[in-house]
Amino acid sequence: MTVIERVKQLPSDVWTSIFRNPLPHTDHGRAATSFTNFFLHLHPVKVNRNTLRPMYTMGLGLISLFLFLILTVSGILLMFYYVPSTTQAYDRMLDLRGSVAFGTFLRNMHRWAAHAMVAAVALHMARVFLTGAYKKPREFNWVVGMILFLLTLFSSFTGYLLPWDQLAFWAITVGTAIAGYAPVIGKEMKFVLLGDATVGQEALLRFYVLHVAVLPAIVTLMVMIHFWRIRKDGGLSRPPEAEAAITQPDSISVQVVAGAKPNGGSYGLMGFVRGPFTKTGNVPDNSVFSWPNLFLAELFVFVLTVAGILVVAHFFGAPLEEPVNIMHPPNPAKAPWYFLGLQELVSYSAFWGGVGIPGIEVLILLLVPYIDRSPRGVGVWFAKERILANSLFMLFAVVNVILMIIGTFFRGPNWSFVSPW
Amino acid sequence: MISAKNEEQQPKDASRRSALSWLSSVALFGSAIVSVVSNLVFIKPRATYGPPTKFAIGKPEEFPSGARISLEARRVCVVREGNKVAAISTTCTHLGCIVGLSETGFACPCHGSRFDQDGVVTGGPAPKPLPWYKISLKPNGDLEIDTGLEVKSGTYLNI
Repeated sequence: MTVIERVKQLPSDVWTSIFRNPLPHTDHGRAATSFTNFFLHLHPVKVNRNTLRPMYTMGLGLISLFLFLILTVSGILLMFYYVPSTTQAYDRMLDLRGSVAFGTFLRNMHRWAAHAMVAAVALHMARVFLTGAYKKPREFNWVVGMILFLLTLFSSFTGYLLPWDQLAFWAITVGTAIAGYAPVIGKEMKFVLLGDATVGQEALLRFYVLHVAVLPAIVTLMVMIHFWRIRKDGGLSRPPEAEAAITQPDSISVQVVAGAKPNGGSYGLMGFVRGPFTKTGNVPDNSVFSWPNLFLAELFVFVLTVAGILVVAHFFGAPLEEPVNIMHPPNPAKAPWYFLGLQELVSYSAFWGGVGIPGIEVLILLLVPYIDRSPRGVGVWFAKERILANSLFMLFAVVNVILMIIGTFFRGPNWSFVSPW
Repeated sequence: MISAKNEEQQPKDASRRSALSWLSSVALFGSAIVSVVSNLVFIKPRATYGPPTKFAIGKPEEFPSGARISLEARRVCVVREGNKVAAISTTCTHLGCIVGLSETGFACPCHGSRFDQDGVVTGGPAPKPLPWYKISLKPNGDLEIDTGLEVKSGTYLNI
């Protein structure tokens, strides 16, 4: 090979060294693309058709993930202009409006994506429950999901203080006072959370560190575990009918294709991975290649999520109230909508509304897969066999939504009952 | 010969291995506990930067008889009746909002707790009455309130 030929080939050499596969046109290529790409290898080479039914998952888990990505990116950008100081924080909010390019837009994106993420994670949880997807072998992934839900709420709660406006200050004053009602460790927990007896500079700094470093790191780790377990638990849940009859023995073999081993040896991939979906050859199955079927679906959900947030951030401004005035709480002082159900309960009894009932609710939700052990009714919305469990969950959801609606629209000054009309 | 040697060595190896793994597990577990505890100690502040609990509020003459003056920045209400003066907390015992003065006593804007003139709960979710703080006369004639010291409701200072 001449030098000129080598130089001519250099660009394509570099290209192929980065991207191992050309755009695939064969089944082998499609498999190899998913398998050898770092960003795609999270996915199986083939997925069950049921996984791709839009009305089964509604893409809610993916939407939650993409909102988290939007929040991470917009949050990091906002960090460049934010100072966690009681004397500067509010001014920095005004600066975002006045003197930072795209400042308002970024803040809007961050705020609305945070609201949307709470909603998406909650709806994702409802989907998983109503399709019975938490059942064996996916019990622990439900628990991981619950932890992620609580982390989402806590992330949102810590972010709430950062603008240092009236809403922020009083919502956190009320929120941490609720924490103080927890038995035994309540008072200590409140003091450690605030770094002082009342909400002030120490609390702002602590909430900032939790919001931008500690919680995102834990969320990232938990998301990784959540996704890893989806794979190891056999992909997304699906009804037994979605599985094609297995005519082959349990062990799975993969043909290693020319190039890798000259004489085409075969490896046994023992059944470490649950579910017979890693197949090659003429085994009857009900799966399709991830490339392009799954990836296009994911791309579509991604584009839809980003577009949704961009549109909302364009038309609706994130609220910013008056700067903190520790002498005058706004009347009524309301928490964000997803905590208003709690605030409504708290207005009856601080301990039961803020600690007792939510604690019991979380405990029951965590234990759901270990209480409801019947294997039937997986993979279908509102399965007949699960009418009791689903009815209880719907009751729980409806009661919480009603409490939120009461707290949002029917409570006025001094938390007295008002009519929104 | 080789197999005989192996049989001879195996129990010794096994016991050493189990002793080592037992020791390392204890060490690992122990250091995990130590690091959790020391992190908790670290995260709990030893000094705080909040406002002082003891502060002067001025001469008794500034509070005429019958006055109920809320010092909002201090979160305390000074009450004077004749020659008697007292300091009642204005931090709601429910969730820490600042209660405002109302015709019948105090009212909380956050969750609707209501208190009478002496801070006794008359309605709403507040679980406890508003605490009364120690109030005293400094040598220079100023009244001084110590929000770190709660006194029994109805304890007045005679001046």
